[in-house]
Amino acid sequence: MSSALEIKHLSKSYGSKIALDDLTASFPAGQITGLIGPNGAGKSTLLKAIVGLVKPQQGSIGIFDQPAHWKLNAEIAYLPDRAKWYKSHTIKQALNYALNILPGFDLPRALEMANLMSLDLDVLVSTLSEGHEARLHIILCLARRVKLVLLDEPFSGIDLLSRETIIQLLINSMLDQPQTILISSHEIHEAESLFEHVVFLNKGQLVLEGNAEALRQEKGSIESIYRGLFR
Amino acid sequence: MDSIQVGDFKFRLDLSKPLYEQVLQHIRQTIARGDVLLGTKLPSVRDLAHQLKLNPNTVMRAYQELDRYHLTETRRGQGTFITSDSETVELVKKALAREAVIAFVSSMKNLGIDRSTTESLLKEVAWHE
Repeated sequence: MSSALEIKHLSKSYGSKIALDDLTASFPAGQITGLIGPNGAGKSTLLKAIVGLVKPQQGSIGIFDQPAHWKLNAEIAYLPDRAKWYKSHTIKQALNYALNILPGFDLPRALEMANLMSLDLDVLVSTLSEGHEARLHIILCLARRVKLVLLDEPFSGIDLLSRETIIQLLINSMLDQPQTILISSHEIHEAESLFEHVVFLNKGQLVLEGNAEALRQEKGSIESIYRGLFR
Repeated sequence: MDSIQVGDFKFRLDLSKPLYEQVLQHIRQTIARGDVLLGTKLPSVRDLAHQLKLNPNTVMRAYQELDRYHLTETRRGQGTFITSDSETVELVKKALAREAVIAFVSSMKNLGIDRSTTESLLKEVAWHE
């Protein structure tokens, strides 16, 4: 299995606070990987480093066998943990705007997703509930024809129905095009059965990584492994 | 996880075991028991992935394995169908029975029970409830 991402000896600290501590990990191409760890494990910093929003002090990041570079961002859809969009836009305006600024954005596909997720195109972003705003942000990522999708805490703080709709969309997305998807989470939620590979982080370091089915065979459910590691 | 009915198949998935093997095993057993007619179409990968909230790659892997044992046949653009060959189904049924017997024998061994005692216990057991 070729890898989409090769992280080697990556270190990043903010002042005296260490976010990534000599982290080495790899992420297989064409699979959904769960990036799991408690708050402060370094998950968000790692994703930001991949898209160049954070500059590591040490180490290297390889993206599809190339050193990380801002030009590669055209091939990456990144959902930040606190994503925001222009409040004055309607959903329709947001999608049209995305078509102009996001490389590989597929508008017909986005409209189909909005329909599936019961998003009203004429509603203002400013009036959306957290769950519905999360649905919009997921569409802005998954409607792009890109090789790599990075989702930082996509299930955090939203209602059950929105979480389930997002899972449906992820399944559709995997069916429609081969993609590498990273999902960071500090809870396992309903996404566990989507993971094919899992990377556990703690205090900026790798704790455990492996094929999800092999881990289930050896140690049980991903959720129980998580509890065992961080109890 | 509660049991979920998808088309003619019923699934109950346990997240503490490999998911692909469970999908494979559920379908093999349903076919071996004769709960579905030969030649029946399996649920599409899309439907099964959605209903069971599984990664489509996991479902596809199980379907490829069924094809490999000739228990199903995937027709391009039409879907995956259970074989119409009853001999293949009989072979799979025997293989599943053998697996069950091996598991049974190993649990008897774990209890320290020998072959002759096991055989006499088997004769005593009531088959009809």
